[in-house]
Amino acid sequence: MEVVTTVQKAAPPATRGGAPTEGRRRGSASRALWIGAFLAPAILLVIVLLAVPFLTTAYRSFFDDNGLSQKWVGLANYAALVSDPDFGRSLLNTVMWVAGTLLLPVLLGLVLAVLTNSVRWGSVARTAVVIPYALSGSATALLWQFLLQSDGAINQTLTAVGLGSWQQEWLLHWPLNTIVMIIATTWQATGASMILFLIGLQTIPNEIVEAAKLDGASGLRMFWSVVIPQLRPMTVVVVGMAIVNSLKTFDIVWLLTQGGPGTASETLALTMYRETFTLNRYGYGAAVSVVLTIVVVAASWLYLRRQARSR
Amino acid sequence: MTTINDGAGGPRGVGRRALLASVLAAGAVGLAGCARGTQTRPAPGDVVSLFNDNSTWAPGYQAAGAQLKRTAGYTLAARAVPNVSNYQQIVRMSAQTDATADLIKWWNGYRLIDIARAGILADVTDAWDHAAEQGWCDDDELRSTFSYEGRQYGLPLYKSYYAVFYSKPTFRKLGVEVPTTWDEFLHVVAAARAKGITPLGSGGATTWESLIWFQQLVNGLDHGFYQDLTAGKASYTDKVCREAMGLWVDLYKRKAFSSPDFVTSTVPAQFTKGTVAMHLYGTWNTGAFLAAGVKDGDLGAFLLPPPPGGNRSVVVESGVLSVSANAHKLDAAKSVATNWLQPAVQRAWTGFLKDASADPSVVPDVGAVREVAATVAATKPSQAVRYWEASPPVLIEGNVQDLSAFMINPTMTSAVRTLDTMQRRADKEWKVWRS
Repeated sequence: MEVVTTVQKAAPPATRGGAPTEGRRRGSASRALWIGAFLAPAILLVIVLLAVPFLTTAYRSFFDDNGLSQKWVGLANYAALVSDPDFGRSLLNTVMWVAGTLLLPVLLGLVLAVLTNSVRWGSVARTAVVIPYALSGSATALLWQFLLQSDGAINQTLTAVGLGSWQQEWLLHWPLNTIVMIIATTWQATGASMILFLIGLQTIPNEIVEAAKLDGASGLRMFWSVVIPQLRPMTVVVVGMAIVNSLKTFDIVWLLTQGGPGTASETLALTMYRETFTLNRYGYGAAVSVVLTIVVVAASWLYLRRQARSR
Repeated sequence: MTTINDGAGGPRGVGRRALLASVLAAGAVGLAGCARGTQTRPAPGDVVSLFNDNSTWAPGYQAAGAQLKRTAGYTLAARAVPNVSNYQQIVRMSAQTDATADLIKWWNGYRLIDIARAGILADVTDAWDHAAEQGWCDDDELRSTFSYEGRQYGLPLYKSYYAVFYSKPTFRKLGVEVPTTWDEFLHVVAAARAKGITPLGSGGATTWESLIWFQQLVNGLDHGFYQDLTAGKASYTDKVCREAMGLWVDLYKRKAFSSPDFVTSTVPAQFTKGTVAMHLYGTWNTGAFLAAGVKDGDLGAFLLPPPPGGNRSVVVESGVLSVSANAHKLDAAKSVATNWLQPAVQRAWTGFLKDASADPSVVPDVGAVREVAATVAATKPSQAVRYWEASPPVLIEGNVQDLSAFMINPTMTSAVRTLDTMQRRADKEWKVWRS
């Protein structure tokens, strides 16, 4: 009976002709058209604001261009880039930023979210951590400049409390300048990670936590074996955003050191800016931005694909 | 599916279409509005537009414009983009189109050649000839820094000298006089240091200011060599450069300088507090001292004595007033250029700017600038164009960064390494410039 039913469903009587199939086809074509129509504005925006500028930039990177005259040079800008020692330093700094911002704001955000999630005065602590996130990048940089200059607040305080020998030229020596700028960014960015992890924590079903408690889990064991795995979807988002943001690091470095002294603290984004807008080497700057785009897209794609697979 | 079809065909669908059409229409109107910005429209009537990178100079241009109205028949409308990088991009792009301002503020030397050879500036040689005939400005050294292939493409907006500003109350407190020799200068440095006062404010760790002491010492040791060096005819690894860097290192050893991340905008306050005694800078910074409340009588300036074995020479910086080749009002703009160096116009302009004019007879009523102008008139030192404008821009920008890095580690080993790097860059960039 069951077989017969199945056959009947699979092969409708010939007498009914092809009308329903055709109707279904028309219906699905119409549906596809509507879906396409709804997607079109978004796709159009991506094409106009992302794909076209990228392709234009990529095309421009094959020219020696000073804004007043252009000359085709093929891959010469890329060859110069690879042999430029400043580019190597810039790449190294960018890697430091990625590592630093993955390690500090993400970890601190997670720890603070877990610690303040269910304690009485948690909201006060959360507010204190989130406030810096509300500040603009420029305001943050000005504040930290006031603190970190050689005659700034930190060094003056150290002198005042008798720790003058601990004074440093915080922004003048590599890698110290990059490290303190990562710390300044951590101060600002931890709030965002914490908020996202808090949302993640609130989505963990109570039943799972209760079940774990009944099984005797608590403290660190609960954290490692229950909370962390349950936070995985949110961690994917936080880490993904941290990777992309760190690869794009520009404002705080520009405002605190302008990539200097020399080019010591430059990141790829700063190198791109300097070559394009300070030196008016539009072709070379375009080559840097193409490399930066490839690095950002490749890192994001590899990371997200890996996460999607493992889920 | 049915719902969607109904929605599209029914009154709600029409509403959406109408909304979409309205949004598109509004967008089109917005884009049309942006097609020509306020910065690029032709100026109305008897007004000539002037594009510059300093919004605080508008009252000065207005004062100069009021005088120009009497002589040339035109006033000035200043349009500013205060960010130097953005300003340069806009000029480079807009000057090739009809969306350009009539007059453009620029930099002299190689920076002027850089855009003059692209054909975006009008020839103003006649204006220089006129100024020389009238006796307003007949300065061949200065004129050469406004030239490309024997023709001039801009007029001097001002003429700043690199001089040592000093706090007169601090000098009195230290019991020292304005130094006239290098040894006397070192004595002032030692006296200030002994009292716990920073002898010289000197920033540049992350700014262009790292070139100031380099140009001062190289040019002070041998003006001819400085000219050759910046023209690509001498090497950064030559003896004079090493001597100059040696003097710089020696001054660091004597603790003559502030920390290299010193911020120039704090100098007036530090002079008032008595924490910094001197600051080598362009005289264009005089206005900043007075605006910050430093009394005219408390502010002095002198030309740094040449180092041992050196010569009397002064570094000069001059902004440029150029006429755009595509100016909407080309004749009006050229007329303004011809009259720019008129003494009445210069008095109004430099009276606002508190800096020296290319016309030596026009000096603003500010003690520090008058002291420098008097020294220049009396000693007639040779003039060197500021390092920033003295060689191809890409070479200078790179070398300035190297000098910034040197200031963080001012040792002779680092100096030699810095000079080697600068020369390698010079070899490469001169080839590019000449190609």
